[in-house]
Amino acid sequence: MNHRKKSVHRQKTRTLAIIGAGMAGSKLASVLAEDKRFHYRIVLIGAEKRAGYNRIMLSSLLAQDIDVTQMSLVDMTALRRAGVDTITGDPVVDVITETKSLSLQSGRQIAYDKLIFATGSTATRLPIEGTDATNVMCFRNWQDVERLSALPENSSVCVIGAGLLGLEAAVGLTKRGHKVTVVHRASSILNRQLDAAAAEMLQAKLVEIGIEFRLGVRPEKLLWVQAEKHAQVELAEPLVNRVQLSSGDEIATTLVVMATGITPEVSLAKQAGLEVNRAIVVNGYMETSQADIYALGECCEFQATTFGLIAPIWQQLDCLVAKLKDDTQTMLDSKKACQTYLKNPQTRNHALTKIQPTFQLEPIPTRLKVSGIQLFSVGDISRLTEHDNDENSTTAQLYQNITLLDKGQRHYRRLILEEDKLVGIILYGDVSDGNWFFSLLQSEKLLTESLDTLIFGEVYNQDLLEKITSANRQNENIKTKAATPEKKASHS
Amino acid sequence: MDNADKAVQNTKTTCPYCGVGCGVVLPLAAEGTHLTGPVIGDKCHPANYGRLCVKGSHLADTLTPEGRLLQPIVDGQETSWQDATQTIADRIKRIVSEHGPDAFAFYLSGQILTEDYYVANKLAKGFIGTANVDTNSRLCMASAVVGYKRAFGSDTVPCNYEDLECCDLLIMVGSNAAWTHPVLYQRIQAAKIARPHMKIVVIDPRKTATCDIADLHLAIAPGSDAAIFSYLLVETARRQQLNQDYIDTHTEGFADTFSQAQVFTGNAEFVAQFCQISTLQLQQLADWWCDTEKTITFYSQGVNQSTTGVDKSNAIINCHLATGRIGREGMGPFSITGQPNAMGGREVGGLANQLAAHMDFATSGAIDLVQRFWQAPNMAQENGLKAVDLFQAIEAGKVKVVWIMSTNPMVSLPDTQQIQRALEQCGLVIVSDCQANTDTSRFADILLPATGWSEKNGTVTNSERRISRQRGLLPPAGNARHDWQAICDVAKKMGYHHAFDYQSVHEIFAEHAALSGFENKGKRDFDISYFADIQQTDYDALVPIQWPVTKERPQGTARMFSDGHFFTPTGKARFIPIAPQLPIVKANADFPYLLNTGRVRDQWHTMTRTGKAAKLLDHTSQPYLELCSQDATQLNVREGQLVRVNSELGQVVLPVKISENQRQGQVFIPIHWTSQFASAAVVSSLIPQIVDPLSGQPESKNARVSIEKIANLTYGFALTKQAIIPEEWLYWCRTPIDQGGQGNEGNKNSHSYDFAICMSETTPSALVKTHLNQTHCLSEESEKSEWIEYKNPVNGHHRIAYLHEGKLNAIWYFSPNPDLPAKNWLASLMATNNVLTPADRLALLMGRASATVDKGATICSCFNVGEKQIRSAIANGYNTATALGQQLKCGTNCGSCLPEIGNLLSQTQAKSQTETMKMQDAV
Repeated sequence: MNHRKKSVHRQKTRTLAIIGAGMAGSKLASVLAEDKRFHYRIVLIGAEKRAGYNRIMLSSLLAQDIDVTQMSLVDMTALRRAGVDTITGDPVVDVITETKSLSLQSGRQIAYDKLIFATGSTATRLPIEGTDATNVMCFRNWQDVERLSALPENSSVCVIGAGLLGLEAAVGLTKRGHKVTVVHRASSILNRQLDAAAAEMLQAKLVEIGIEFRLGVRPEKLLWVQAEKHAQVELAEPLVNRVQLSSGDEIATTLVVMATGITPEVSLAKQAGLEVNRAIVVNGYMETSQADIYALGECCEFQATTFGLIAPIWQQLDCLVAKLKDDTQTMLDSKKACQTYLKNPQTRNHALTKIQPTFQLEPIPTRLKVSGIQLFSVGDISRLTEHDNDENSTTAQLYQNITLLDKGQRHYRRLILEEDKLVGIILYGDVSDGNWFFSLLQSEKLLTESLDTLIFGEVYNQDLLEKITSANRQNENIKTKAATPEKKASHS
Repeated sequence: MDNADKAVQNTKTTCPYCGVGCGVVLPLAAEGTHLTGPVIGDKCHPANYGRLCVKGSHLADTLTPEGRLLQPIVDGQETSWQDATQTIADRIKRIVSEHGPDAFAFYLSGQILTEDYYVANKLAKGFIGTANVDTNSRLCMASAVVGYKRAFGSDTVPCNYEDLECCDLLIMVGSNAAWTHPVLYQRIQAAKIARPHMKIVVIDPRKTATCDIADLHLAIAPGSDAAIFSYLLVETARRQQLNQDYIDTHTEGFADTFSQAQVFTGNAEFVAQFCQISTLQLQQLADWWCDTEKTITFYSQGVNQSTTGVDKSNAIINCHLATGRIGREGMGPFSITGQPNAMGGREVGGLANQLAAHMDFATSGAIDLVQRFWQAPNMAQENGLKAVDLFQAIEAGKVKVVWIMSTNPMVSLPDTQQIQRALEQCGLVIVSDCQANTDTSRFADILLPATGWSEKNGTVTNSERRISRQRGLLPPAGNARHDWQAICDVAKKMGYHHAFDYQSVHEIFAEHAALSGFENKGKRDFDISYFADIQQTDYDALVPIQWPVTKERPQGTARMFSDGHFFTPTGKARFIPIAPQLPIVKANADFPYLLNTGRVRDQWHTMTRTGKAAKLLDHTSQPYLELCSQDATQLNVREGQLVRVNSELGQVVLPVKISENQRQGQVFIPIHWTSQFASAAVVSSLIPQIVDPLSGQPESKNARVSIEKIANLTYGFALTKQAIIPEEWLYWCRTPIDQGGQGNEGNKNSHSYDFAICMSETTPSALVKTHLNQTHCLSEESEKSEWIEYKNPVNGHHRIAYLHEGKLNAIWYFSPNPDLPAKNWLASLMATNNVLTPADRLALLMGRASATVDKGATICSCFNVGEKQIRSAIANGYNTATALGQQLKCGTNCGSCLPEIGNLLSQTQAKSQTETMKMQDAV
């Protein structure tokens, strides 16, 4: 009784600090601030000057599909009015867990009761000669977009990497009138999301827009020239002007955009002594290895998985919010559970699931944010399609591929099945059935009866979702019933 | 008669299909060049009173220019009629002068008109001097003719259609009238509803659609019919039901006939065993027969196409004579002919064993009579060669010139291989036809383009002796001419100008009428001398009338033998002793199945016309081998899988249709599909040339065959806008794609092909490539060409669509099983020829639009109503044919589908009864 009273009293003055004012951090601040029953003082600390913007829309902004007024994710003014202490352009430089306090670059100290890591990730730079030149950049934040937007007309830009981000950058730059060459290591673009057939269609479309591709080659060196020869770029340092490829070819360029992946930003976490693998290790409550410290978004790692897409991050956020709100009452339980989990991750389900929602890994559909291009991809496509051209491989026999290809319309559907369950989806062109297919994949149900019509989508398979769910449930019931006597027998 | 009536009158004509001879009205455009809508039934015609079957309803669809022969062709070169007829005349004259008149032969057809028949018969028998004039009617009712002649002394059908409606017992023998004579079937069905006490018995080895209205179905052993009637004769006597007065007064030969019947069919058990039916069934028939004065025995090809067809006819007639059930209302032995003008051919004498006008060569004084009438220089003196003998003589080189008119012996005569040898061997083959490409026309040295139905002009006679006009309402296609004109032109060029100088077709009819009355004086049954002076106007206005038509009977004659007088020398009808026999060909270890043949509901003969009407292929689109499920299990074949059917003579390849209508060990193949429509489906190639010794009619409904499953196939279909040459496919069947009556210019050759290929020999992609090469699509491949492809390794389905300018140009579906979806929707896409919507492009390889409901197999071709629709309507309480008709319109036009609708109704009722019983059990 005494203890509880004391807690309530303390709540009013307790502080929750969020490191990182990107999408995850600012959204978390906003959600918590709106909740009247959540009594923490919230401090949101961002390294960037801008906070609370929708990073996903950067490609659209670059492509001029939207303008700056459409970039907002969280209304920062409203956030401040709600009492959130928002600090921007002042990165955290030190986390002192012993005293539960933070040091900012400006020297400011902030004490916290609960700390959230939402440090996101940084773009990866290839470790090649010339990678640090001033006209070699990444495509990661608003500032990058501003720089790219300021390029002189008809510049030649080399984008390295034909993943989602690289292609979005390439399209945006092309739409701004630049001459873009995309260099990609794999033989087909977007190879983690698409198979060769879909990639071919996408590439054809992008070529029509004006993008050039150099596939199956690596950039070996970025070659330098003297600064003064680049009068148009007001930089004193030397600049690269050619990309040398593994094929020996060279591509002339004014600017290089590296879009070769992202690296979770974990330096602070490491320094704070949190368990960090590729990223900050968390459990289903987004709890790190240390009490009162949580992580979410691209900087965290759950069950050996890191995150780059937004959908699971919002789920993490929901779990984290639920956890924080319920914290007072379940603090002891969860702490125990957390410790148990970190020692022995298999116990997670037993210890935690009953108490509150926990984050779980789920397949996530991918879409490319380029207007006029529809694609939808779910599943570990590069693994599922790695033996596409090898009819004798065991993988090819393990998976079955149903395909529908309309080359003229650039429509393509591929469903990858494993033992009559949907494990991979590639849609290009017409993605209207994407969510329906995705639901079938998520259901993990046998689709044996529907394989004749499946690829033609929901209109030809009315009520399939309902049907398979109930049918499989019945099957499971039968199995359970059948299994029960055996169990009994073995027990006796 | 005002002008409007005249206009209607003048657009009346007679259906060109079966022997019912229905009156139809053509909706002729004012300018007279085309039709403005579908053909409708003539409410005034006594054969049908406005009814039409599905084939008749779709007559307008068959009047397309596609495939028509438009110009005479001599030795491969198009030429003028002048040249062609001169060449024919010269060559016939030369051959006849070198080898004698019997080196010439006509092979005619029950499809040509009486006037065509008349001049052909006259030219051959009176001027060239040969009786080698035979016809495909030989395959159809020759046995019935001989049966009548043996019994009555004349080829006289005693009854009329009204008798079918007022009889109390109708015994249908070897007839699937529901499909082959649908309008008569409809009339019978309506009569049975109006007079429920009327009993109907069907005697047929197969359970056909006709059995739907039967009170009793005797599924007898094939060919055992005569035993039934022998038994009935004996049983009639045993039960003291003989009409002794009639036997004594009007017949002769009863005693011998009766003792012969007694010897063979002494007891019911033996007969039942012989016929493979139960004694109970046999007794039932005997009970009804003995108790029912007003009995009609209605018989058709099941009786006639037999080595003992004549005997079977007489076994039937014997029973009617013994009970005096003939010549009165609602009774008699009624042979129903298959063709629209088989009867007209008989009247003219257009058969090798007839002379003219119901006179035979053996008829005393007949040759002289006809010679004088015709002023003929070279009268034939004796019977000529009947169809099968004729083609054997051609192969043997005895007949050196054959003029084939409006028939397709390469499909219809037994032992196709022999017919081919004969035609290849023959010095001069002349083919008159309206279609350019038939299985027979490819052997022609000279091809003559004939006018087709709606163009040709003359008369036909139906199964009840009713003469009706087939009017020439549309202009001839191209340079087509009437057959009588072609014959007369040749005759004139041969030097017989005076005898063949007809200015108009009515002059031929008048001469034919005059001959029928020439020195007749009641000696001959066929007498239409009333018309001997008929003028053009009256001929054109001729209303349907039953012969004899004489000065004494200007209104015609409804019923024959009412006075008990027959046309034998004694004036008495003759009993014929019959020893029932089974078919000569029996199944053996190598060929363990007995093959039966016949028609399907919506096709006619060799499909030269019905094969053009897409709607007529909805009901049955492919040839098939029908067999029972036990046999299917034994052969390890499933529905739709391909089998090879072999006989000692030949081979066909067909998909399997499993049905409980077949008895074990008996299989059925339809007669229609030719090499123009399917790869190897000509059933005649399996049939031996075994004929009835009296009638010369082949036993086309009986052969022995072996069946082997063909494994490792890829099944499929293709819909293409360009004709494909499907040479390399193991199996294919071509059907036209419905153009919705619009006759879209670009789509004339749109066809659908069902096919199967050997997996080992080709792949779907290779096949598609071959097609495109054939149709020159690949050379046109450009940005306008698009491909859509669907592959599903789970079920092996592979589907490819080829689009041109956004429109469907060709589409292929492949599957390792014959489980392909319905093509109707795809065909409609191809026919409408619109740029496809995105939804349609997706649906293309699914086979149906997402919004469309799968209607199921087409039942009603007229309104395109499917089985699933009907079933669901029944489930919704529309549980009578009438209610279904009101709801879905099915069965309300031609009514051909009513038996099947009835079936669906009874199945559903049986099911609900079972369910009710189950529920009661549960309670």
